[in-house]
Parts: sequence; C-alpha cells; structure tokens
Amino acid sequence: MLFSLIGKQMKMLLRNKQPLIILLVMPVVLITILSTALASVMNSEEEAAIQAKFVLIDESSWEQEEASIKRFLEEEGVSGPALEALLQVFKGNDPIHILEESIFGSEDISKYISKENRQFAELDILRKDKEIDGILLIPADFRFNYIKSAYFDEQETPDMDLFLSQENGIRASIIQSVLDEWQTGFTKSLALTKVGISADEVMLNGQAVERIEQSLQGSERKIPASIYYTVGMLVMFALYIPTFLAGFALQEVQWKVYDRILLAGVPATLYAFSIFITGMIIALMQQVIILLYGKFVLGIDWIGLEGMALIALSYSLFIGGLSALLTTLQLRTKSEGVANIFSGLVVSIFAFLGGSFFNIGDVSSLLANIGSFTPNGATMSAILAIQKGQLLEVIWFYMFTLYGWFVICILLSIVLFPKRGVTS
Amino acid sequence: MLQAIDLHKKFKTKEAVRKVNMQLEAGESVGLLGPNGAGKSTTISMLSSLIMPTNGEVLWNNVSVNKNPEALRKALGVVPQEIALYPELSAKENLHFFGRIYGLKGQLLVERTEEILQKIGLTDRKNDIVKTFSGGMKRRLNIGAALLHNPSILIMDEPTVGIDPQSRAYILDTVKQLVEEGMTLLYTSHYMEEVELLCDKIYIMDQGEIIAYGTKETLKSLVSDNQTIELKAHILSQKFEEALKKYFPTANIRKEDEILLITMPQNEEPLATIFAIAAKNAVTITSAIVKVPSLEDVFLHLTGRALRD
Ligand SMILES: Nc1ncnc2c1ncn2[C@@H]1O[C@H](COP(=O)(O)OP(=O)(O)OP(=O)(O)O)[C@@H](O)[C@H]1O
Ligand SMILES: [Mg+2]
Repeated sequence: MLFSLIGKQMKMLLRNKQPLIILLVMPVVLITILSTALASVMNSEEEAAIQAKFVLIDESSWEQEEASIKRFLEEEGVSGPALEALLQVFKGNDPIHILEESIFGSEDISKYISKENRQFAELDILRKDKEIDGILLIPADFRFNYIKSAYFDEQETPDMDLFLSQENGIRASIIQSVLDEWQTGFTKSLALTKVGISADEVMLNGQAVERIEQSLQGSERKIPASIYYTVGMLVMFALYIPTFLAGFALQEVQWKVYDRILLAGVPATLYAFSIFITGMIIALMQQVIILLYGKFVLGIDWIGLEGMALIALSYSLFIGGLSALLTTLQLRTKSEGVANIFSGLVVSIFAFLGGSFFNIGDVSSLLANIGSFTPNGATMSAILAIQKGQLLEVIWFYMFTLYGWFVICILLSIVLFPKRGVTS
Repeated sequence: MLQAIDLHKKFKTKEAVRKVNMQLEAGESVGLLGPNGAGKSTTISMLSSLIMPTNGEVLWNNVSVNKNPEALRKALGVVPQEIALYPELSAKENLHFFGRIYGLKGQLLVERTEEILQKIGLTDRKNDIVKTFSGGMKRRLNIGAALLHNPSILIMDEPTVGIDPQSRAYILDTVKQLVEEGMTLLYTSHYMEEVELLCDKIYIMDQGEIIAYGTKETLKSLVSDNQTIELKAHILSQKFEEALKKYFPTANIRKEDEILLITMPQNEEPLATIFAIAAKNAVTITSAIVKVPSLEDVFLHLTGRALRD
C-alpha cells in the first residue's frame, strides 16, 4: 500500500512538466550560468594559491671552498689523480645542484613553485616581501661541511635556514614538503653513494610532486565558483520539492481522490508517511543528478564521498519531513496559501541567508550567522567544509542544526495532520 | 443493512442535513432525489463514513459506522459526484492504484482491472491518459474505480451529470445490470427519470430534509391517480367532443390551444374507445399522448417548486 502511494506520487511528479523544470532544469541552468559568469572573480585566488614563490640564497660555492676541500682531502691522505677524481664525484653529487636542477628545474615542480636566486644582502628585504612564500639560506662553507659529514663522518650534517611565510599556508607547505623530500633524499643518498649509486637516481622528483599533492590535499582546498554554485543551487532547489508534493496532496483532496484513499481504509498517517518517503527519495535523486552534472559537465572533483553521502541523506530526510509538514498545513487550511508563501517567500529568504547566491558572510556576519541556522545554509556549509578538505568533525554542528529542523517538521506533522476526512 | 438514524449535519452556520432517516436493505436499489443543495452529497458522505454527523448515527449491520468504519468500508463502493481520478495517469494506472489501496495485487488485480474495463467499455482506451478522455469516459472510469474491490453496496452521487445522452444511456445500462446482479444501490440524482428507471424505493430530499419516501407508485399517488390524454386531430369537431363526454361521463374534457385534454382515473384504458369514437365522427387523430404524473410533478406538488431550474 505504501509502495503504491509512493509510486503514484512519483508518477504525478514525473508526468508534470513544471516540477521537472523547477527541480532539475532551473538549478542546472543557474549553476552553469553562475559558475561560468563568476568563475573569474572567485577563482583568481585559487590559481595564485598553487604557484608558490621560492627564493634561494646560496652563500656557499665550489670556487670559494675548493681550496679548503683539497686541503682537507690531502690531510686525509688523498692526493694526485685520486684527489681530482674524488672531487668530480663530490661535484656530481652536489645536493644544491640537484635541488636547483633536478627538482626546481623539473617541469612538474615548476608548475607549483617558481624559484629565484638572490644575494644574502637582500635577505631582510626579501623576508618582508609578502609575495615570497619561502626562502632557503645556504650558509658559507656548506659544501665543505657537507663533504666532511657525508663522506668522512667528521661532523653533523650542516644546517641550513628555511624561512617560510605566514601569508599563505598552502604555498608555504608546498615549499616545505619539497625541501623535506630533498633533505631526506640526500641524507639517504649518502648511504647509497657509499655503495656506488648516484644520488640523482635516488632523488627522483616524482616523489617531491607526490608530496606537493599530499600537502595540497591535506590543507584547505579553495572553493571555485563551480562548486560553490552547484552546492548553493542544490540546497536551494531541493526546497521546492515539498511545495510540489503539498500541492499534489491538496489536489487529491479537491479532486476527492483523497476520499477514495480514506474509503479504502488507508490510515491518514500512512498517507502522510508516504509523502515523507516520496520527498526523501526525490530529494536524494535530485541531489545525485545535480552532483553528477557538476562532476561530468563542470568537471568538479567531489571529495570526501562518505561525508557527502551522509549530508545528502540527512538533507533528504529533512526535505521529506518538510514535505510532510507543508502537506499537513495545506490540508489543514485547505488552501494553497501555505505552499505559495513557502515557495514564493521562504525559499528565497532561506536561499539568500544560507548563501546560495553569494557568500553572505562577506556582507554581514550577523546575517551569515542567522543563515547558518537555516536548514539549507547549514547543509551548504557542511558540504563546502567537506569540499575544502576539512575533517568530518566540522560538519557535526551543521548536521545538528539540520536534524533539529527535521525533528520540528516531523513533530508538527504528527500533531497537526488531519486524522479523519478533510471534508468535515 | 445500512441505516441512517436522525442524521444531522451543521457546517458552521449552514444546516445542510436535518433529521434524515434512511434504510437500505441488501439487494435493494434506492433513489435519493433532490434539487441542487438539498443535502444529498452531505448525506452520502455521512453514510459512507467520510464525515461525522453532527448528530445521529449510521449503522452498518447494526454496528455504528462511526465507531467501526472498517467493516462498512470493505463492503462499500462510492462513486463521488466529482471525477475523482488522477488526470495524469492512464485508465489502467488509475484502476491499478485504487485496486492496490484496497489490497488487491498480482494476478487478481490484473483480472479485476480487465473485468472492470470491459464493464465500463474502456478496454481499448485503457492505456490512454485520463486527461485526454471525454466527459462521458471519465464518468465511466469514475464508476469503475469504485467497483474494483467487488463491493456489495454501491453509493452513486449523480454519476451522470454533465455528459452526452449516449454515455448517459451506457452508464444507466451498466448500473441497471449491476442492480440485476444483486448489488445494493443508493442512487442520487436530480434526474427523476434515472431514479424512476433504476430504483424501487425513493427518498425525496429538499433543503436538508426528507420530504417524501416510498415506491414510485405510492409517491406518484401523492399527486393524483389520474391520467391525462392529449389528443391532436386535423379538425376537432364539436360533435366528437360531445360524443366523448357522453361516453366518459366522469372524465374532465376540455380544449386548450387546439389540443383536447381528457383527464380520468389511471385504471381505465380508454384509447381504443377514443379512436373508435373518432372514426365514427370522421375525425382523423394525428397524435395521442397519455400522461401520468412524474416524480417531477410529485416534487412540484410537495414543494411548490420545480426539481430543476
Ligand atoms: N463543507 C461544507 N461547508 C459548508 N457548507 C457546505 C459544505 N458542504 C456542503 N455545504 C452546504 O450544504 C448544503 C448541501 O450541500 P450538498 O452538497 O450536500 O447538496 P447536494 O444535494 O449534493 O447538491 P448538488 O445536487 O448540487 O450536488 C449546500 O447548501 C452546501 O452549500
Ligand atoms: Mg451533491
């Protein structure tokens, strides 16, 4: 009986053009328009986020240090052609050369990091430059000390100074991850060169790229316009589902088919429950279609799928509850007034406060606060948090709000639904 | 047995039904006749457990329907005055839906649906969307939807309003057949000829009250036991009129607009005699109509108003 009620409701919805247009065509069109029109405004920041600016100040050099190195080797008892050959090996495995050429010189890395060489005298100015995300200072005698520690175990690995900017966490962490990879690389390579493997082979830049991508994922992803508006329209247009279902229910009463349903002995509560389930199913279908549209047409890479599934299910539950409530109110008042006010006014206000059209927090933090208590606003915030790559814990607050609304809808429906015929 | 005892319904200020008592025995076909706004639909809604009476009680096999509507609902089919169907669904889908909510499923549902489609003559249109149907077809389907669960008692609220004469004849035929098959029927209408055709027992309702009740014959005898014969002829000669008066001394014979009206008790069968007298007086009768009182006349007699405006 429940299934035939749900099936009938689905047919009523699918055989009408208007609901299909409002529930699917409108959001898809709006998403496409808004995300392309506003892409340049919203996305500019994201491009910058990826290209980090790195400055290398190399105080050490072969020219300066060759004499000290030769002297040291002679003291260690190496001389003649053996000494020259050893010097060539050292130069070939110079970690700074590898950093500059094999790592920063590679195409993959230079996509993410631009490198520049500067002088020590400029350090203070450079450190104040907000455009620069990281500065690596190689001290004088670094190469000499490195050889002593690496090949003769004479000394601790020499120190370098890394200055990371606080301006942009993502860019700084990209630099850090590459330098970390480089450092573990050449420490490891020491052991291997002793067995005769070249450091170049050990420090493939592929590993560095992997680290960058990890660090990009680990940190907050920027939300491009396509994601923002897909989510904004998704939460907004789901709110029209209850209007349609409540409208159908009122029609059923007016056409007297509702009398037939009651005469067949279908309890009013089962009828209301069927509307709840239908609302839920349709909301879920609508969300999946819109998310897939985002993925395949707009090329959005949705992340955090468990979180997304949880949110979509919860929002569908709420939409089901709201469908039951709107139906209840409409059958109580026996007029379209309630649903008209809802679709004409409440949806717009909620969508506005919830941030479906633009980030309302940019205008007023008070309004944004109110907005985060709307069911659609809370849901939107939750999805965006997941898409930024934040942990699942962040969404509990939003889910709590959403379930609060859900419970209110269900309780009111139960209390207010007309149990007997609506005709009397 | 369905019984209404002192039914009373008040909508806010409007008293739609007052002190209605009715009774439907199994296998009986009962008519409920009354003008617009008489309270017929309201009475039916109370009888079928859809609305609560303000006062009074409905009993189904001596059990209060108000307390236990399930028993009645299983046995009852209701054809509402409105077209209570889903316009976006096909005829078959509509029937399937209404069958399913009555608990029919599987093969039984399919068979019943086909049977009903056959009965209402919509088999060849079963896959068409109801929106595209003519008024008459919708009315037929409206009836079919009430029959799926094989009810033993059928309540029909003006099932023929607003349709063409052909569809109307078809529906009346169908209903007559149902009655012959033993269906208990409560038939509401403001067409007295439908009620006359289908029903043995008739309630006449006006302004919320039952103003008369009985078989067709008893109701008509309320008006009078007379019949009136209307004669037209090429030339209605004085001689002919006098001859008639002599032969039917108790009859009232008068001439209006070249039509001769003869009123006499219904138990007499005077036509053969009239034609014989006409022949003897060389009068060629062009038409002769025998009129007996209709329920319409009964209503007029009871209320001073016509049944339909
Ligand atoms: N829900 C209601 N609220 C208020 N008044 C009502 C309601 N339903 C019916 N009425 C009134 O009760 C009276 C009887 O209505 P009802 O529909 O029972 O008449 P009816 O005999 O079926 O008429 P019709 O032949 O036009 O169908 C009418 O005056 C009508 O306006
Ligand atoms: Mg009526």
